[in-house]
Amino acid sequence: MLSHVHKALKEISKSNDFLQTTIDIKDIRLHFSYYKTLISHEQFHHDLLSFFQLSNGEIENVHDLKALIPIEGIKVLSNVEEIVQSLAHGSIFIQMDPSLDEGLLVDIADLKLGHRGYNDTENEYSVIGPKVGFVENIDINLSLLRRGLVTEKLIFEQHIIGSLSKTRIVIAYLEDITNPQHVNTARQRLLDLEFDVLFETSLLEQLITDNSNSPFPLFMSSERLDRVMYSMLNGEVALLCDGSPIVITAPVNLFSFIISPEDYYLPWIMGSFFRLIRYFGIAFSILATSFYVAILTFHYTVIPRDLLGPIIESRSNVPFPPLLEVLFLEITIELLREAGSRLPTKVSQTLGIVGGIILGQAAVQAALTSNILLIIVSLSALASFTTPIFKMSNTIRFLRFPLIVLASLWGGLGIMIGLMLILGHLLRLKSLGSPYIVPLFPFRHKSFNDSFIRSSFTFLSHRLSFTRPLSKKRFTVQKNKDIGDDYNNE
Amino acid sequence: MQNQVKENYTISGYFVFFLIGAPQAAAGILNFQSHVLRDAGQDSWISIILVGLSLHLIIWMIYKMLGNPAKDVIDLHRLIFGKLMGNAISLLLVGYYFIMALFYFRAYIEIIQVWVFPTVRTWAMAGLLICMIYYVVSGGFRVVAGFSFFYMALIPLLFLLYFPIRQGNIHQLLPVLNHSFLDLLKGAKSSSFIFFGLEALLIYFPFLKSPEKNVKWAHFALLFTTLKYTAMIIVTLMYFSQGLLKHTLWPTLAMSKIIELSFVARFEYFYIFMWLLVIIPTVCIPIWCCTRMMKRVAALQPRLSLPFILAALFIAALTVNERIQIDVLEKYINEIGFYFIFAYIPLLFIINTVALKLKSNVDKSFKDG
Repeated sequence: MLSHVHKALKEISKSNDFLQTTIDIKDIRLHFSYYKTLISHEQFHHDLLSFFQLSNGEIENVHDLKALIPIEGIKVLSNVEEIVQSLAHGSIFIQMDPSLDEGLLVDIADLKLGHRGYNDTENEYSVIGPKVGFVENIDINLSLLRRGLVTEKLIFEQHIIGSLSKTRIVIAYLEDITNPQHVNTARQRLLDLEFDVLFETSLLEQLITDNSNSPFPLFMSSERLDRVMYSMLNGEVALLCDGSPIVITAPVNLFSFIISPEDYYLPWIMGSFFRLIRYFGIAFSILATSFYVAILTFHYTVIPRDLLGPIIESRSNVPFPPLLEVLFLEITIELLREAGSRLPTKVSQTLGIVGGIILGQAAVQAALTSNILLIIVSLSALASFTTPIFKMSNTIRFLRFPLIVLASLWGGLGIMIGLMLILGHLLRLKSLGSPYIVPLFPFRHKSFNDSFIRSSFTFLSHRLSFTRPLSKKRFTVQKNKDIGDDYNNE
Repeated sequence: MQNQVKENYTISGYFVFFLIGAPQAAAGILNFQSHVLRDAGQDSWISIILVGLSLHLIIWMIYKMLGNPAKDVIDLHRLIFGKLMGNAISLLLVGYYFIMALFYFRAYIEIIQVWVFPTVRTWAMAGLLICMIYYVVSGGFRVVAGFSFFYMALIPLLFLLYFPIRQGNIHQLLPVLNHSFLDLLKGAKSSSFIFFGLEALLIYFPFLKSPEKNVKWAHFALLFTTLKYTAMIIVTLMYFSQGLLKHTLWPTLAMSKIIELSFVARFEYFYIFMWLLVIIPTVCIPIWCCTRMMKRVAALQPRLSLPFILAALFIAALTVNERIQIDVLEKYINEIGFYFIFAYIPLLFIINTVALKLKSNVDKSFKDG
């Protein structure tokens, strides 16, 4: 009569990398079962086998074995399911008698296998500030967070999700700061989730988002350690997924996507200035080309006489209506961008030069577009890349297309209707149950310290209220005592 | 109280500032001058101040009779007139709010047709706007209220009044007060329509968080509107001669035509397009009120009633098709709006106070006896 465990192991051993070996140590015969692709062989030989060999005492059952090995994560188990699970995660199963269910389960998974050790924050670059980013291995990510936020209040809560991938998802938050309501919402959505393989946190984001039919990202996704830490200390919940170098945090508002960590590393005047430039860039990028279409199709009287001359002149040879002209150039830019992101870095640089300079010049000379439009389109493409978060910059690039079409149909009214629809959509959106455009609606005048501008740290001593944190105060800024404010030098 | 509004659907009490302000900004800021001038001439700014001040009393009445505990006018009707009669009166109000919405809706389409797209069909414009209104109203009261906040984005446009002021002549305001008090009152009556929109407070009152504490914001909204319109009328009087004003249909737009910067001219287009930001909440608030009342009185789900109301709005907007018809509609609206605010609300207030007094007396006598 064979044991259940034996049968289960037999079933798994169909797989080539599953090994079942017996090793004789002194007079005992030990049966090992493991995936050779998952365990650390070094640990197996050094930490396991050597200790068995060195032992002097009598070994009668697996409990004696357990006492011999100085490794954490050892369990004596007889539950088939749990054993199979642990084997799939890199444990080794040791039995003395294969006919019994009971055996020793030792976790010697090779954590470094198939993972990079470090990550430059290439996609969210900042000139000043740490360049440490998250990697694919969740344990390294967790230790990065643990080392960054040195407090016992940092809580990691693990869930296993994915019927095929059994991915480890970790909810990270700061107790006593994060509103437990957010943690509960996030946990509940995770528990309700049924999916096969979770490749990425961005995938997870779409599954647990508040509104999956929105072009706007409702979770902040970042690969920067400092950014995620900043979100967490403001009372947001972070979600990490094994196998993904991106961490998502929520609840967020629209304006946090325009914030770059660099704003806080530069003096507040510079930080605010750059942030305002980014807002201008977004407005320009969304509206510039649709304004061009609306004005040249319907409202050319809006242009003063002196300016009308050059515009008409540059368009005089173009045979197309403004809509086609704009769409042609916008799609060209989108093609360049898409091709650039699919190519290796070195090739894409060449492509940028070929596409940007040669194509643009040629298009104007061939009278496919006007000079002025070429300037507007390339400027708005440039402006769309100022957004620090990739997903938001995608959204902004996408939004201009419906606006261009609306502008060609109803001119300025069309643009306004498009903007109203976007506004109505934004008003409806919620991120993890919190309103999305929060300092504006619901109106929170205190949060304006850190939305459109980044004011001095004297005014930033409190957490943003939209996350409804349990403790509001972050720090106190004291005036440096050696700096006197007596301008009479007395 | 029955049908208490759930906490997470309520909005902060100070939002009443925007909810009152936005519809009042739409109520003909582009063309109110010619109506106001008819009776009081160059003194019509006094008339506007008079109406504005008297409306503070109305707001006080509304807060007094609806507060403690917060209820809407439907509850009040039931309380005073009994269930059947009260519901019937509430249903009449549905018609009132619908006509209000219709007027602003049609007026905006007319401006588009006159100033921007002379060839556009009414049905096309109406269909487009109705899709938007549906999207906003189906988001619930929070979205409607949120929209009304964004009319603040138009406040900077007020600074453009600088250009007509530069061209204006202060002597056209003189002589001050050469109209009789009766004329001023007549002017006040005909200018009362610029303050329409505050009566929607009767319906959304229970959606405000701690309304009594935030009553000052309602007064601020009113004060702001009064000041805004007073400034507008003074500038208009300075810029136009009164003879010219009688023949100008949209004086505000005509004034904005003179603005020319180095990169942009024809500012009235900006006014008209930006006005959508005000028109949408102005139409959406009454429409929302209609759905709310139908739900409370006839237990009709907004999911059903909203398409029905919007279809009615669409058809009604198509039937009002000419300038004369719109004019008639406007006169009609001005009349019923005036009597609704200045007669019906005080009447309701008095009946309510008397009823409360009687009730408390009865209660007292019960206790004493």
